[in-house]
Amino acid sequence: MSADEACLEAFLRELDYVHRTLRRLGTSPSETEDVAQEVFLVLSKCWAAYDPERPLRPYLFGIAFRIAAAHHRKRNREVTFEFVEVNDTGPSPDDALQTKQARALVLAALEYIPLPRRAVLLMHDLDEVPVEDVASTLGIPRFTVYSRLRKARRELESAVRRLTKART
Amino acid sequence: MRSPVSPELRALLQQERVIPPVSAMQRARALARARASLKSTAVAPVAAPFAAAPRTRWAAAAAAALVISAAVGAAAYEIHSRSILAPVAPRAVASAPRAVVSAPPAPAPAVAVAELPSAPAPTAAPSGLSAADAARAELHLLRQARGAVSRGDFAAALSTIAEHTHRFKNGRLVEEREALRVKALAGLGRTAEARHAAVAFRARFPRSVLLPTVSQMPASRAAP
Repeated sequence: MSADEACLEAFLRELDYVHRTLRRLGTSPSETEDVAQEVFLVLSKCWAAYDPERPLRPYLFGIAFRIAAAHHRKRNREVTFEFVEVNDTGPSPDDALQTKQARALVLAALEYIPLPRRAVLLMHDLDEVPVEDVASTLGIPRFTVYSRLRKARRELESAVRRLTKART
Repeated sequence: MRSPVSPELRALLQQERVIPPVSAMQRARALARARASLKSTAVAPVAAPFAAAPRTRWAAAAAAALVISAAVGAAAYEIHSRSILAPVAPRAVASAPRAVVSAPPAPAPAVAVAELPSAPAPTAAPSGLSAADAARAELHLLRQARGAVSRGDFAAALSTIAEHTHRFKNGRLVEEREALRVKALAGLGRTAEARHAAVAFRARFPRSVLLPTVSQMPASRAAP
């Protein structure tokens, strides 16, 4: 299998993850496919440098985060809870309504966390990546990972409380 | 690191950890676009023109689109049509993950494909069309078929699929077309034909990302 084919196969294997990660990073549903394609372009260009012994997801996250951050800087938008709820129903027909709402709530609450801290929280608390790998992927010291994580969790708690309260 | 978060938040995060699957169509489009980008890179270094300054974007996109259309790959049509319909170059992408610089995502095409003039009357081969027109016509037909399937109008879908087969027998979107055919036949309850189409699909595209979708269709489940 050629390097290109291997890269393509790996990307398609993680396509669900790439899409969800981009949504968590604030990419709108209508932009996600385009941005995912950008992730693939970058991945294919640096595929030779990727060590297949290492897990792919943190590597993909690093790419997705940088692309999402570049897009993020170019716009100031606020995603309301209603917007997320309507547009992010999720494709799984088996999801219970409650689960869907919970996921939409998390997605909406994440929007309240600035991207650098959100990235740490996503990697550590959702993708369950060890602190050392979070630090190396994002190019920040471990201490910074811990401090961003603490703050991001507080922000997430507070956003969830606010959104839940607003809804009731 | 132990998570000092409330049990409620922990429960929410637990639910969000489950990654929802993208739709089969999104997957197919991702595959097609990725393949097209690999092929266009292999044929000619067209990535750089795409990153050209705004004044030259249109010309660069048009030139690159020609190269892409020469390369095989269904998604070339998507990209090509976007460049035709909206003269905005795709985002520039740097070569390393840490140095990604990109323009905003391409906006939705200024003109929806559905609003485009109808494709020319069916001909035996699209040879009379320019590459751009053929690309647009093929994509247009496939979108019609896709829309009909998603509306549950399987008869209309089959009719469009037949037209696509007639005009673009070995077109670049043939893989998606054949997957849609299985779905449309299954939707019409033409089980035996759906099964036959599914078997043919599997034989023709043994590594297709659409295989799981084709296999999940009720009519093709019993297929060997």
